[in-house]
Amino acid sequence: MSDAMQFYLSTLLIYLFIDVMGVLGLNLQFGVAGIINFAYIVFVAVGAYTAAVVSLGPDFPGNFQHYLFGASWPFPLPILAAGAASGVLSLVVGLISLRRLRSDYQAMVMLVLSLIATLTATNATGLVNGPAGLANVPQPLFDQLGLPPLEYQWVYAIWAGLLTALTFLFVRGITNSPLGRTLRAMRDNDRAAAALGKNITALRLLIFVVGGVIAGISGAVFVEFIQAWSPGSWLYPETFVFLAAIIVGGSANNWGAVVGALLVPVGFLEATRFLPQDFNLFGRHVVLFSGLVDALQWVAVGLLILVFLWFRPQGLFPERPGRFTPRAAIASAGKGE
Amino acid sequence: MAATPDPLLTVSDVRRDFGGVRAVDGATFTALRGRITGLIGPNGAGKSTLMGVVAGAIKPSAGRIEYDGADVTGLPPHRIARRGMVRTFQLSAEFARLTVLENLLVAAPAQRGESLWGAELGRLYWGAGEDVLVGQARAVLDRFSMAPKEDELAGNLSGGQKRLLEIMRALMARPKMLLLDEPFAGVNPTLAREIERYLMDLRDEGLSMVMVEHELSVVERVCDPVVVMAQGRVIAEGAMADVRTRQEVLDAYLIG
Repeated sequence: MSDAMQFYLSTLLIYLFIDVMGVLGLNLQFGVAGIINFAYIVFVAVGAYTAAVVSLGPDFPGNFQHYLFGASWPFPLPILAAGAASGVLSLVVGLISLRRLRSDYQAMVMLVLSLIATLTATNATGLVNGPAGLANVPQPLFDQLGLPPLEYQWVYAIWAGLLTALTFLFVRGITNSPLGRTLRAMRDNDRAAAALGKNITALRLLIFVVGGVIAGISGAVFVEFIQAWSPGSWLYPETFVFLAAIIVGGSANNWGAVVGALLVPVGFLEATRFLPQDFNLFGRHVVLFSGLVDALQWVAVGLLILVFLWFRPQGLFPERPGRFTPRAAIASAGKGE
Repeated sequence: MAATPDPLLTVSDVRRDFGGVRAVDGATFTALRGRITGLIGPNGAGKSTLMGVVAGAIKPSAGRIEYDGADVTGLPPHRIARRGMVRTFQLSAEFARLTVLENLLVAAPAQRGESLWGAELGRLYWGAGEDVLVGQARAVLDRFSMAPKEDELAGNLSGGQKRLLEIMRALMARPKMLLLDEPFAGVNPTLAREIERYLMDLRDEGLSMVMVEHELSVVERVCDPVVVMAQGRVIAEGAMADVRTRQEVLDAYLIG
């Protein structure tokens, strides 16, 4: 395999792992617990920015970019810091918006939060270098490992895969447990769950923070790979790409989240890259104006959500209720007839 | 009657305003241990609002609610449920995308696997408790002749079965007092008679209940005492036979 192909494939693989992590976190919030978090990408972004500024080193006058709190923390501290920062922000946002508001209003608050966050990061240029964003984020252990770039990239893919596997196991620990069952009950009818003694506010906050930490870590793994991060990378529609992945893959199903990430952010958006910029149509030479393909990607994501909600709302891998009930229990079902 | 008269729930002068509307206007009544207390009255009398206030879902504007010897006024619903006062809803409130068995299991209090770390510790940590709960849930399902439905999605049950599910689910929460909001609404007569029998059996086992109901013949068979509400107030309290002859009760039902 040529080096170029290997670069391309390993890059795709890393993107896949990062997207799987992100989709797993949002699926926990949206699919399992029923929290409509339209600001999910903000928590990814906060993780990415945090990992960037704690590894870029102190800012100095005359630096080509400016940011708050520069430090040169060694691996793996930037990733941990990213998870912590997103977790704390989730707690603050959750305490404000999840306690009293009805879920449709919560969704609106989240959407507005996403817009405010982008505008702030863009315009408060001293914060994280404004619209230009941060660049030259060091890759973890790049100097220490001393590997050629291609080999380093495969090592990074393994590292991302490891984190993704850990995330998957952690999320599955929640979904295949009494806690996951209680969360799904809350999603289906929060008033009834409260009437049975479940502390709805605490459960919502818990899952909002857990999902936020996962989002932050995925952002950190992303920024340490591509080494740059700017407001253009996390506009609010990015959350809808994750939502589309959940709806296509199957809400409240962890394998559905994996397949959704493979099909939507990776497969679907990656495939459109190969659309020709000019082609012959009925003998006429057509040239697409630049940006048309990008714009069409959003149209396509929107259509994908619509088509699935219309024809297969449960997604490719539907939720499987009652799955973690002991096996012996399922075998003897119906004996009371 | 199974138990000696002994108040489990005391509602004193409870008021609830919604903007300018006073839905409950100084309601006072007691519900006795081991009895099914009927809460009746014409539409708009404030019965469901009062149930919501007692269960903690609606904050009272004024008044006091005492349950099992403690002041529970204004506590959030989950805290009231954990003390053993569990409500059902006027409209079906099943967990639609959970199986019938799961609906019951959710209701069990203090599960080891319900905290984040408990869940992550895995089945070794919470599996034994879960097996016990499955056993309890099966026993409840058997008793209500719903065992064949245990793997059915709750959302696919019939209207009557959903009412039954709600009662079963409430029982799994280990209640001392059930607050039933129209448990017979939309249930066919045969199943209604069955639910009626279940409720009386539960009462005879010592479970206390407050029941909002429109069907007066059921109330007459099941409830003692009966509390009559009209326009947000309690206008009569006592045995059904006694209450139904009173002029203010007749007026409330005829005039509304």
